[in-house]
Amino acid sequence: MTEQELIKGLQKGDENAFRYLVENYQDRVYNTALGVLHNAEDAEDVAQEVFIQVYRSIHSFKGESKLSTWLYRIATTRALDLIRSKKSKKRFGFMQKLFGDSNEPLMEIPDFHHPGVKLDQKESAAKLFKAIAELPENQRIAFTLHKIEDLSYQEISEVMKTTVPAVESLMHRAKQNLRRSLEKENS
Amino acid sequence: MANRTDDILSSLDGIQRAKAPDFFYSRLKARMERQLLPEKNAGWVLRPVYAIIALFVVLLINAAVLMRDSQEPSSNLASTTDTETMQSLASEYRVNYAGSIYDLNQDK
Repeated sequence: MTEQELIKGLQKGDENAFRYLVENYQDRVYNTALGVLHNAEDAEDVAQEVFIQVYRSIHSFKGESKLSTWLYRIATTRALDLIRSKKSKKRFGFMQKLFGDSNEPLMEIPDFHHPGVKLDQKESAAKLFKAIAELPENQRIAFTLHKIEDLSYQEISEVMKTTVPAVESLMHRAKQNLRRSLEKENS
Repeated sequence: MANRTDDILSSLDGIQRAKAPDFFYSRLKARMERQLLPEKNAGWVLRPVYAIIALFVVLLINAAVLMRDSQEPSSNLASTTDTETMQSLASEYRVNYAGSIYDLNQDK
């Protein structure tokens, strides 16, 4: 099935086309969400939301970009929305159970272990993910799409609706920030 | 320390794509049905054909009630005026209908 046929099928409400879409893109969408959120349950939740949004708004898809680009864009946007929502809840004290009277965390947020990381790299990758979580949103998305989903700078620029030099700049700053954060952690 | 940092930075090299959980499609379909079905169920009420039928039924009931009332002979109860009803009630409860039951100066 070509992409055009798939889009036409989706716009007609063809269930087989929808199943084909989900089965062919679910791993990409889930992996992206997981790379941003560092939590398997949240990633599945966001991945489901992505496909529901596609189902609802496929009629507005004009085909100006590739379907995969559109899916990556929805996935990263939804994942960031969830992070903002969680941060907001935390700010308003909904996660105060984590803190004791001395304002010290009662329990540490567990390290994130991506299932695709090589066994001998698990420990290092967990430290890197911890540092990635502290990056500004744009740098975090660019770095995740490049490192976790292996997208080229060109593809990332299409997902983020920006230019290739802007992505290069984001990646450069992301690496600088990560290095600084890791050196601080190791010292 | 620089080497250690470089090792950590390159720890994601060659990472494999994580697979979506098993039965992802089934769970997605179940969620979509949960979300979309209530809209479908409520939607039929708003369809014009059902709205017109409902309006027609209401008008029919109104017409039937009006026709039945106009055909019924006038009964004693129907001819009784409000004043007569109030007077009979007043006499039954021994109150002066012309005055107020709250008239405290009545006995003076």
